[in-house]
Amino acid sequence: MDELTIAMPKGRIFEEAYELLVKAGYDLPKELDDSRKLIVEAPNERFRFILAKPMDVPVYVEHGVADIGIAGKDVMLELDRSVHELLDLGISRCYIATAGLPNTEMNPVTPRIATKYPKIASRFYRGKGEQVEIIELNGSIELAPMIGLADRIVDIVSTGKTLKENGLVEYEQIVDITSRLIANPVSYRLKQQRIRELVENLRKQAKA
Amino acid sequence: MTIQMFEKPLGMRDDFPFIAKKKAELRAKGTSIMQGSGYDLLQTPTLEYYETIGKISAIPDNALFKLLDSQGETLVLRPDMTSPIARVAASKLLKEKMPVRLGYYSNVFRAQKREGGRPAEFEQMGVELIGDDSLYADAEVIILASTILKELNVESGRVVIGHTQLLQLILKDFGLDNSQIDIVRSALVSKNSVRFEQLATELLDDASKAAAFKGLVTTSSLEDWKPYIDASNEEQAALYGEMLKLQTIIQRNGLSEAITYDLSFTSHMTYYTGLVFEFYGAGSGFPLGNGGRYDGLMKQFGLHVGATGFGLRVDRLLEVIAPDREAEPHILILFSEETEELAHEQAQELRTNGSRVTLQYAPAVKALEEFSALFSEVRRLEGATNG
Repeated sequence: MDELTIAMPKGRIFEEAYELLVKAGYDLPKELDDSRKLIVEAPNERFRFILAKPMDVPVYVEHGVADIGIAGKDVMLELDRSVHELLDLGISRCYIATAGLPNTEMNPVTPRIATKYPKIASRFYRGKGEQVEIIELNGSIELAPMIGLADRIVDIVSTGKTLKENGLVEYEQIVDITSRLIANPVSYRLKQQRIRELVENLRKQAKA
Repeated sequence: MTIQMFEKPLGMRDDFPFIAKKKAELRAKGTSIMQGSGYDLLQTPTLEYYETIGKISAIPDNALFKLLDSQGETLVLRPDMTSPIARVAASKLLKEKMPVRLGYYSNVFRAQKREGGRPAEFEQMGVELIGDDSLYADAEVIILASTILKELNVESGRVVIGHTQLLQLILKDFGLDNSQIDIVRSALVSKNSVRFEQLATELLDDASKAAAFKGLVTTSSLEDWKPYIDASNEEQAALYGEMLKLQTIIQRNGLSEAITYDLSFTSHMTYYTGLVFEFYGAGSGFPLGNGGRYDGLMKQFGLHVGATGFGLRVDRLLEVIAPDREAEPHILILFSEETEELAHEQAQELRTNGSRVTLQYAPAVKALEEFSALFSEVRRLEGATNG
């Protein structure tokens, strides 16, 4: 049986993905995320987990240092890496939206958009026929309209609580997001049987 | 940005001696197999016109290195080898000698935007068989590429084969129009099975049809293709018949283990008109090379003939081929002023017998011990140590 290296995003998605794998019948060690280890083995299943930043998962998978990975569709859309997108796991559901201070218009001369997702944002506004200036931030995007850095933000919304607490309102929904099972194109061919088996096992759980 | 003295332009690499040596071996092996199969090697210019090769090569515009010549014409550093060879083949010189078999080992240039692991200049080796539209030509190039991979000791080498024309016909049979087929193809090209399955439900109202459609991405043998072939459709039946013949030839060559027939496999290159294939091996996260039948490209050069070929990426082959751990015997002869003549005589004799010999004037070496450690054998000729 081929060993599979799986890149897992640390944090929110991890919990749900871990649960899904266990439900699909995989025998995984309990303390997978507790430790500070970056590489964890699951010898019973011949799995090796790489615990990575969510934005880095498709990078590991594209370069083939991980055979498969679990990545949010937001990350996939932003990075546009050459990997197989095999299965919608249906977990970590949320969406990307534009938001800003209530009852405001965008600056007609230089509309500015703050975001962690510059590609998704510029694709969206270009699609609407609007030319905007993108300001790339790494976190606390909600700050930008509050302190006058940008007219709108483009960000992930799951419950809308963060927006509300910071006095922002949602303007447009851009795209729905769930986590995806992805695979390296070479691994997909060389370890085809194992990967397909995993897809089928997870598919049953993802639907349930 | 100030450029530091040690820096190279984005994506450019130096070939250090051990890599240069490995490449030379690879080149020698690869080209001798090509030549042994009747292919003549050729070299085309590094610079080509943007109007012709630049546009036809199907490499995205922002990946082309462009420059202007003294006449104001836009030139490109050649981004691929298939289109220059098609240009040569379409010339008067070779037109009368069809089918022609041409092989190459050349560097190509593609500007890179992203991080490391993506050289902007890399070598490719491959062949083009132009003027033969039979399946025997396709079989020949697939077997030739597989032979090269085998001879280079590529581990778990695998070839995935698809057929763009057959795929097109089958998608049409599902009742899709051309614009829908384009959407489906682009999902397949971007390897997005999730999108592909969504399309099945969106485009097909019949549930059993949708289920069959979804199954396209899991086909891995010609047996799996069979349910999709409409036997009453002459074109489909003929193409499928050819695939079976191809399979027989491949089996006879002992390669069947390493082949996956994936009906959903296709290419972003729109000039491929029939068979398409891609090569993989353990050790590289990226495909080793690809190829296919590109009658469409020849048409752009005004030649209505069949053509097929493959290209292998040397940079990726280097990743998958185990490096030689064993150091090659290399003799160092250290000489002094007095022993210079003797040293030359000895070196001459050793070299005649096939040894690799470095001659070095000993006093010119600052760190004698470190320098000597680079060789498998050191001979100090009389007087050399007092220098």
